[in-house]
Amino acid sequence: MANNYLNSESKQLATWYFTFAAILFGAQLLFGLVAAIQYVMPGFLYGILDFSIARILHINALVVWMVFAMFGAVYWLLPDETGIETIGIKVGKLLFWIFAAAIVVVVLVYLFIQVGPADETTIWFITEGREYIEAPRWADWGIVVVALGFVANLFLTGIKGRQTGIVTVLMADMIAFAGLYLAGMFFTDNISIDQYWWWWVIHLWVEATWEVYVGAIAAYGLITMIGAHRKVVEMWLWIEVAMLFGSGILGLGHHYFWIGTPEYWWEIGALFSALEPLPLVAMFIHVLYDWGKTQGAEEEKGSTVSVVNNKPAFTWFVLNAFGNFLGAGIWGFFHTLPQVNLYTHGTQFTSAHGHLAFFGAYATILIGMMYIAVQGTNGIKIMKHTKASIWGVSMIVSGVVGMTVALTIAGYVQVLVSRAQMGATWAGYFDGQSGLWFTQAMDWRLIMGAVTFIGFIFLAKDLLTTGKNPVHEK
Amino acid sequence: MIDPSVLRPEIALDDFLPIFVSSALVLVFGGFYVGIYTAVKVKLLKPWTMVFAYMFWLLTAYCLYLMGSLMHVGEFTAKALVVAAIGLFLLPYAVYYMQSQVHEENEH
Repeated sequence: MANNYLNSESKQLATWYFTFAAILFGAQLLFGLVAAIQYVMPGFLYGILDFSIARILHINALVVWMVFAMFGAVYWLLPDETGIETIGIKVGKLLFWIFAAAIVVVVLVYLFIQVGPADETTIWFITEGREYIEAPRWADWGIVVVALGFVANLFLTGIKGRQTGIVTVLMADMIAFAGLYLAGMFFTDNISIDQYWWWWVIHLWVEATWEVYVGAIAAYGLITMIGAHRKVVEMWLWIEVAMLFGSGILGLGHHYFWIGTPEYWWEIGALFSALEPLPLVAMFIHVLYDWGKTQGAEEEKGSTVSVVNNKPAFTWFVLNAFGNFLGAGIWGFFHTLPQVNLYTHGTQFTSAHGHLAFFGAYATILIGMMYIAVQGTNGIKIMKHTKASIWGVSMIVSGVVGMTVALTIAGYVQVLVSRAQMGATWAGYFDGQSGLWFTQAMDWRLIMGAVTFIGFIFLAKDLLTTGKNPVHEK
Repeated sequence: MIDPSVLRPEIALDDFLPIFVSSALVLVFGGFYVGIYTAVKVKLLKPWTMVFAYMFWLLTAYCLYLMGSLMHVGEFTAKALVVAAIGLFLLPYAVYYMQSQVHEENEH
């Protein structure tokens, strides 16, 4: 994506991060497709790339591509927000290569070594075995070094340059984001205690620090793309931080219902989970408010021109507002209270929620940031949709929504058959899995996964070529 | 034969679908409430449409009540749901008030 319109090394580094993130995004979808095929045809690639390995690659690639894109987005906005070049950028570039090389080695080990002996060598060199953060311990330490370097870059630049609300929130948020990773790096002999700490990483990332990160990026995007008033946007950001942390931190309780933790987590989890959708509803107001106010002010001046200077990016940002609300909000809320979570826990409901929430809350806004980078990299004043961008967004959204619906139906079958009728027994599990509704839902999940992957190909083509498309105003 | 001790009778089989639908509608209607409220305030919709916003909040509160009843929630969770309903009612007021105050201070 890089070319001579870039006036900052930080932005150049951001394009590297975005490029690697997009590659990993493709890998995530590819291995997701393999796993989806294996649900329908269990013999597919048996003994070569088993479901357990495809699933590891699918969900870890998801986390890693998002972390890469998040780092990239911060490196992109830092010079704009602080007014200076990112401090320690050469270290930042070195850390990028270390990070990327480590990820490539980890993926190759997952693909070609796959399993090891049941001792410490597996934990150190193959996989730690915890969902979402399965990197072996050597890579864990590498990630810590890279994250510390990234946080140092951010802090040094934030302290020396202009201290906007967006940068201040990001500074606080990113240190929590990096620090929480430590909670997933050690083992205890007690599985309940082990899971207790593991949830600190997963939940406090995606329902606290990542959501706050999204708020900060949305604020930057609204200022950049529609010229929203900084004071309004930043004031809103602080409210959002308070609401997200206020409900999200103790919302952690909904993961502690059935893992051997004390029963008081039921009450804590129920209360804060009930409040968790409120900031998501409020984020929805935020985008509507800023868009309406800014466009309304233009129309009062007699202008009918759209205030949006990057249509593809803005489309993804609006999708973020809806997707966050739908995926994290609705699909989270309807199985979060302990009374019903007793039945839904660990079913395909969780998977449906995971797909729509990760996509709606994070993938959308990070893809939007990639389009902002393409616009800046190519010196485009007003960026418009192309056929590829429209096909990309339409197919990816349809595919993910389709997968979510299919998985929700499958989860419903599991709740009724495996849990309610047959009491979460071994026989109940298999009865639920072999039912017609469940198997057909899995077929549809595969079909919609393929639609998503084709949409990704359009997206990748657009990101690579749209900069040279004459349709944009330069 | 399934051992009766493993069956979970807390929620009737026929109640699962209404629970999932009503809990989803809580946020759908809640979204319409805050969406219409905000749209009227920023003059994207005419003022008389505000009545629909309040109707959607009533539907939200009803869905919360229905969901809680069908789930047989305990006293504590019932109170938490009431707090959530009131919070949702006040949310757009509070946010809009603060946003408009900042606009006033900075643009007029």
